[in-house]
Amino acid sequence: MIGALGRMRGVWRYRELLHSLVVRNLKVKYQRSLLGFVWTLVNPLFTVAVLGVVFSHVVRIPLPHYWAFLLSGYFVWNFMLQTLNTGTYIFAEHSRLTRSVAFPSEILVFGAAGSRLIEFAVEVGLVLGVLAIFHHHVVPESYLVLPVLLLIQLLLVIGLALPIATLSVFYYDVYHALPIALTTLFYLSPVFYPAGMVPAAARDLYFLNPIAGLLTLYHDVLYWGRMPSPELLGGMLLAAVTIYLAGYALFRRYAAIFPEIV
Amino acid sequence: MPAVVLRGVSKRFYFYEHRTSSLREWFIRRVLRRPIHVRRAAFTLHDVDLTVGRGEAVALLGRNGSGKSTVLRLIAGIYQTSSGTVRTEGRITAVIELGAGFHPELTGAENIALYAAVLGLTRRELAERYDEIVEFAAIPDLPDTPLKYYSSGMEARLAFSVAVCLQPDILLLDEVLAVGDQAFRERCLQRLRQYHARGGTLVLVSHELEQLRELCTRAVWLDQGRIRMDGPIDMVLERYREQE
Repeated sequence: MIGALGRMRGVWRYRELLHSLVVRNLKVKYQRSLLGFVWTLVNPLFTVAVLGVVFSHVVRIPLPHYWAFLLSGYFVWNFMLQTLNTGTYIFAEHSRLTRSVAFPSEILVFGAAGSRLIEFAVEVGLVLGVLAIFHHHVVPESYLVLPVLLLIQLLLVIGLALPIATLSVFYYDVYHALPIALTTLFYLSPVFYPAGMVPAAARDLYFLNPIAGLLTLYHDVLYWGRMPSPELLGGMLLAAVTIYLAGYALFRRYAAIFPEIV
Repeated sequence: MPAVVLRGVSKRFYFYEHRTSSLREWFIRRVLRRPIHVRRAAFTLHDVDLTVGRGEAVALLGRNGSGKSTVLRLIAGIYQTSSGTVRTEGRITAVIELGAGFHPELTGAENIALYAAVLGLTRRELAERYDEIVEFAAIPDLPDTPLKYYSSGMEARLAFSVAVCLQPDILLLDEVLAVGDQAFRERCLQRLRQYHARGGTLVLVSHELEQLRELCTRAVWLDQGRIRMDGPIDMVLERYREQE
């Protein structure tokens, strides 16, 4: 615990690098692309459209404004998916750097999460507006909880991405296995159906998946426009902090030998 | 206190041989309790003692694989020792691979900022040195051209310029002096002499012995991970040439 805090101080000294990495990630992604950010939106919107048609006309999920439900959770899922996938190759991609400069290498993971978070912030900003105008017809008070959700989301994604990235340094298998795991998780998370449809008997097991809790929070706040229950919010905050600290601890155990292996 | 102190430093590397190529074999080995991973240790450094005084310029000599780069990486804090201690005093810049943090899609100016950040500089410190870096690299249209349009020589020049203009307390260079054309190399040497004259500590790895002689006063000869000889550069070079 104290070791983790000491290490975080080391990271703070390198905040300039974090900033540079975030800027680099975004610049490299969007330059030489005429439509730029539009592509980042098109991909998830296309999936949302397909899911919307299938689950409101073929398999019917009985929710008013089903498209609004999809929008309120899909971007969160997409954020988790992309950031966790980045974890599988981030250290391999920066192997030359890790081998020739001494710096806290978790910054690479923070940088990847940071640049994705900025994209997500723009996406969710648009979703907030669209839902307020076409779904709620007012700006719901629950939007105020959003910063807490962002914090939970960030702690969760880093807490999961760090061990994934650590394992990937030793086993390439992670690179192949993670997409399969995430595809499975897509069906086991409330992305296109509400968590309330899960049978009560299985719900405890279901919510062992922290992404399920995160998406339910977003559904409460964005789709239903209601304050999430303090149990869910507090529980998720606690879970996110725990996962973050545990993930960081695992990473810390092995980080010192990365330069010898990558 | 000296700039660098290595005391009884050993470095062991592990190589993992994956014996199992299939799941079936894995099960068989599990059942028979045969080893699944075989971990072999190989020593790169054996009990190295090295003290570099502040303001000294030291050359590291030795064949490929004798442990020179490992010494630099241990001083820089990239590797952890297997046993022994490493103590350093002051800011270190290690140039082990030129342009390690560079990205081909970014412009020269953006890459300078990124590389400086990797080396631990704040934006203000970079701003103070930015003009000097650009001037030293002397590459036309440097700031606005994406790196991928550079020749490899120009890329190395840019990396080198960032490293030498940062004015660290300790500068570690690993065979990076052979970059650029003759004129640029001459300026690099000039620059390093200046750095040394101002009291900077320098540890150099190079196979260009004459270059080492020009810059350094002391040489350390590494042979199979042990220090074979440590002394005035002329003396060490003479013996080294006889033996190799």
